[in-house]
Amino acid sequence: LKTLSLITGIAVGAALIYGTLDMPKWGDINSPASTHVSAYYLKHSITDTATPNVVTSVLADYRGYDTLGETVVVFTAGMACIVLLKKRKGG
Amino acid sequence: MFEFIVNHYNYWAYVGLMMIGFYAMMAKRNLIKKIIGMNVFQSAIIFFYISTSVKGGGATVPILEYAHNGHGHNAVDIMQYANPLPHVLMLTAIVVMVATLGVALAVAILVFRRYNTLEEDEIIMQLKRG
Repeated sequence: LKTLSLITGIAVGAALIYGTLDMPKWGDINSPASTHVSAYYLKHSITDTATPNVVTSVLADYRGYDTLGETVVVFTAGMACIVLLKKRKGG
Repeated sequence: MFEFIVNHYNYWAYVGLMMIGFYAMMAKRNLIKKIIGMNVFQSAIIFFYISTSVKGGGATVPILEYAHNGHGHNAVDIMQYANPLPHVLMLTAIVVMVATLGVALAVAILVFRRYNTLEEDEIIMQLKRG
């Protein structure tokens, strides 16, 4: 089982490294991640939300519903832990 | 060739970290070690995303300087600040990571209460015995 896991891990790692050959280089200003939509948030954050911290304005203002869903995730996890760890009668 | 390695070895470090976690999830018999492997795996993904937000040439954290003087209509040089979106997305991912870690540890506690062990092969032996 260990050798099988090792072979699978090396195979997946090789596939991932093959995938990184096309990635933009470290700190590339014109990489796809930092060209399309992120410039909009940096430019309009202060006029739209009056918040200097762009991460905060995106998290709590532009993506407010996403953050609401995040709290639902934490709530569900807490509820699951309570239900699982509750002492049962005769259990 | 050397320049290519210098520009890409960060990705290979994340792949290595990810495969360490993947191997731990598959090959380890102890359930706690499996959970630790899952966390290492998720951390590697978070490192990868954060590394995509780096901008060369002295870009800093995405907190706008001098934002509140004047009327707030200063032109923002987007090359001066790192990409904020991966940070936001990974904040969400960290929350999901903590949630999965908590539930996984709770289930591990339940397994320990039922079988008095966390080793997978011992649990399977107990199940076979009836």
